[in-house]
Amino acid sequence: MADQKRPKWAAWADHIRSLDDPARNFEKPEALDDLVVIDLSSRSMAGCYCSSLLAELGAETIRIEPPGGDLVRTYSPDGIMVKDTGLAYLQEGRNKYHVTLNLETEEGRDMLKAFAGHADILIETYPAGKMEAWGLGYEELAKINPRLILCSITAHGQFGPESGRGQYDYDNVAQARSAIQYATGEVLPEGKTMEEVPHAVSTKAGPWIAWSTSGTFAALSILAAVHYREMTGEGQAIDVSTPEAYERLNDYALHWYADQGVCNERFGSLDTCLWLYGFYPTKDGGVFLGGLRLEMWKAFVDIIGKYDEWKAEEWTTLAPFMKKDWQLKYQSMIDPETAKYTSHELTMKSIEYAKSGRLAPITPVVAEIVSPWAAMHDENWQDRGIFTPVQDPVYGSIVCAQAQWKATETPPRTKWACRPVGFDNGYVYLNYFGFGPEKLKELEGKGVI
Amino acid sequence: MTVFNHYVENKHRRPGPLSGIRVIEVCTLLFGPSGPSFLAELGAEVIKVELPPAGDVTRSLNPFGWFYREQSPMFMHINPNKYYMALDLHIDMAQQIFKELCAKSDIVEFNLRPAVTSRWNIGYEDIRKINPGIIYIEKNGFGQWGAYAEQDRPSNDGAAQALSGYAWISSFPGRPPLKQSIWIADYYGGLMGEVAVLAALHHRKKTGRGQFIEMSQTENLMRAMSWVWPFQQATQKGVEPSGNRDQCICPADTFLCKDNRMAAIAAPAPDEFKGLCAAMGKPELAGDPRFREHTDRLKTENALAILKIVADWARSKTADEVEAAGVKHGFAATRLHNAVDQNTDPHRRARGFVKEIDDPLYGRYVEHEFPVMMSRTPPRIKWTVRPVGFDNDYVMTKILGRSQRQIDELYGHGVLGKWKDQQGRRPPPGWDGKEGMIIRR
Repeated sequence: MADQKRPKWAAWADHIRSLDDPARNFEKPEALDDLVVIDLSSRSMAGCYCSSLLAELGAETIRIEPPGGDLVRTYSPDGIMVKDTGLAYLQEGRNKYHVTLNLETEEGRDMLKAFAGHADILIETYPAGKMEAWGLGYEELAKINPRLILCSITAHGQFGPESGRGQYDYDNVAQARSAIQYATGEVLPEGKTMEEVPHAVSTKAGPWIAWSTSGTFAALSILAAVHYREMTGEGQAIDVSTPEAYERLNDYALHWYADQGVCNERFGSLDTCLWLYGFYPTKDGGVFLGGLRLEMWKAFVDIIGKYDEWKAEEWTTLAPFMKKDWQLKYQSMIDPETAKYTSHELTMKSIEYAKSGRLAPITPVVAEIVSPWAAMHDENWQDRGIFTPVQDPVYGSIVCAQAQWKATETPPRTKWACRPVGFDNGYVYLNYFGFGPEKLKELEGKGVI
Repeated sequence: MTVFNHYVENKHRRPGPLSGIRVIEVCTLLFGPSGPSFLAELGAEVIKVELPPAGDVTRSLNPFGWFYREQSPMFMHINPNKYYMALDLHIDMAQQIFKELCAKSDIVEFNLRPAVTSRWNIGYEDIRKINPGIIYIEKNGFGQWGAYAEQDRPSNDGAAQALSGYAWISSFPGRPPLKQSIWIADYYGGLMGEVAVLAALHHRKKTGRGQFIEMSQTENLMRAMSWVWPFQQATQKGVEPSGNRDQCICPADTFLCKDNRMAAIAAPAPDEFKGLCAAMGKPELAGDPRFREHTDRLKTENALAILKIVADWARSKTADEVEAAGVKHGFAATRLHNAVDQNTDPHRRARGFVKEIDDPLYGRYVEHEFPVMMSRTPPRIKWTVRPVGFDNDYVMTKILGRSQRQIDELYGHGVLGKWKDQQGRRPPPGWDGKEGMIIRR
């Protein structure tokens, strides 16, 4: 890649990079450094992810855990712990101060109210009703601070027939509830049962995408509420339900059933709506092939040398290719062709085709389906700063995915990965409440912190 | 929370939180338009600029040949609440009009290949000159610089799922990588892009300064992949897929039930795990040394053992019984929902999350609401999509103050355009030539 010929627009690339390279993020101002966020998330990474996004943008973020730490600290494959913290929380403790506070004590609840007096934003993920039962509901906290933006992220929302169920919010359950998992997965071979082919069932996404989605919708709405507050001085309550947030990213399925009575079903790694659009085998793995315009599909057929044999010249519309039977027919014709090449060979063929093919510059999208291991070691992403390790004073060098967007003025950045449980009690309680070591010892004795 | 009493029926009494913000988009497919749509649902005024006469490619897309009144259901889903303008940005005069619009806007969004905006004389540097406060975002596959971007590679959602490692870890063990049935990189990228934009808006309020933002949808998916990266760093092993089992939470999996439906369960906290054991009639499991602490239960061998026990129990119950046991015993559980549930579930309806739109062009149809309830500033969908160039007169008259004669001239020069006589571009069948038009009827 190093000797790649540069494009005509290289000057543009250089100019933009000079303005937004994440390597220079720390020279720039932070968008949200005037905001104070309290993160009271319990058991849910949606809340932690939400506060991470705000903390990456410079908000002073105080994470409150019960003494001993929140359950999310234990989330880790094989139970791997780095000091007191699992690998998942090592991603989402970023840039936050960590204090402990026992909301089961009256004094603890009173201190939470004091925090509410300081805060711009409070994020919580307890099942609906729990905060009210503690006397910490929105109505109470708004009396203390009418400018407060209180964001609740839950499994069932703050109102509606199921809101009183009292269950916590988990990613896999939210994925199941969203109707997206239902329609994702391998198709059951005809005549077989799910017990016989246990991998041909509705399949959730590997990553915590429901949590990430609700956390991001929450962050977006919080920023919108901050904007409104600046215009009017009014704070408000925000209600996000994780299954709904994720379901909003679902597309036509709701409408399709309402209008046609069709329930969207699994279609493997093809796409119910799109052609050319799917995963195909190669000699050494697989590639994604995409071309949503007729010319891109024709270009692909040309690349695999079937332009004449398949009479691509005569095709005038993509429409028939989107139908189910044609998709399956052409899939079985494409499979043996792509299997003749390695993923890299096919990728390079498409890049070359854009320069010299008969339909150039039109070319199909070809992308190798890589493992996360390969992704993490790919020079392109490393160069763009995604995997730059954070040098954490406590946990050492930690790879945290970051710089998910680049910006000329206020890019997101990660300063530290995490803090041990209660690590910042001294600093935070002194800074916010003027509580010194003696007072803290007393609170500790009473089990408040 | 009493503050949400009668929320749904009173939504129309309050503004959206972003009312007063103006957004211009030059976006196609899903990654581009999804972001501005979220802003439109939050109350911003969004003007969608398309190239006449065909406009956005999404207008052609459909599941297995189904269109709703000739329109793509996907296009409808991802483009509500916008004003539709068709401006041929290849032409100088159109570029001038576009700049005039940007001078009066807060945010402008694109999803084009690198440097195309610059070629059209509407690149960041061009727009910044006339509006230093502009927030300017470009979204695409590989960003504006770097080896992949410079290969001029096209990209899209499926490519991002493939290149990020997302698909690799979303199948069952030993099976080929699996593509999601939704365009997750598009929608989730669109969503995250607006976090960047609103943060920039906040910065502008403090400093008056706008900025340029670029987003690669692959990079954005990587941000959401959490523990995968430090795991690989710590163990020097790649992450492999685990089907429906959550590798960080135990028990958390999807199970086949007696009625051949499926149900998902999560019960990692001590109270939840005890509840599940009680529901299964095996309270002693909560004290089993293999399962007592969450970190013990997560050891793969122990995880597989407890999940086998849960699977056997779930197979003896219907999916609804599993869900009910979760409510009764205090652990998370749900029957797997599908499109039928989306339509018929009373909870979704009571929350107004699934609702009917009453649209002047497309009539009544069912749609998802913006999935966040805000007590003072309820976000909402008001109308759906429009034909190519449908709101030209509105934008040119209301925002740019052009007369009818001037507008007609621009049509004459091909600067402004209208829909092609093609499905998805033209008005729906039976349109009376007036309904939905704002300025000129």
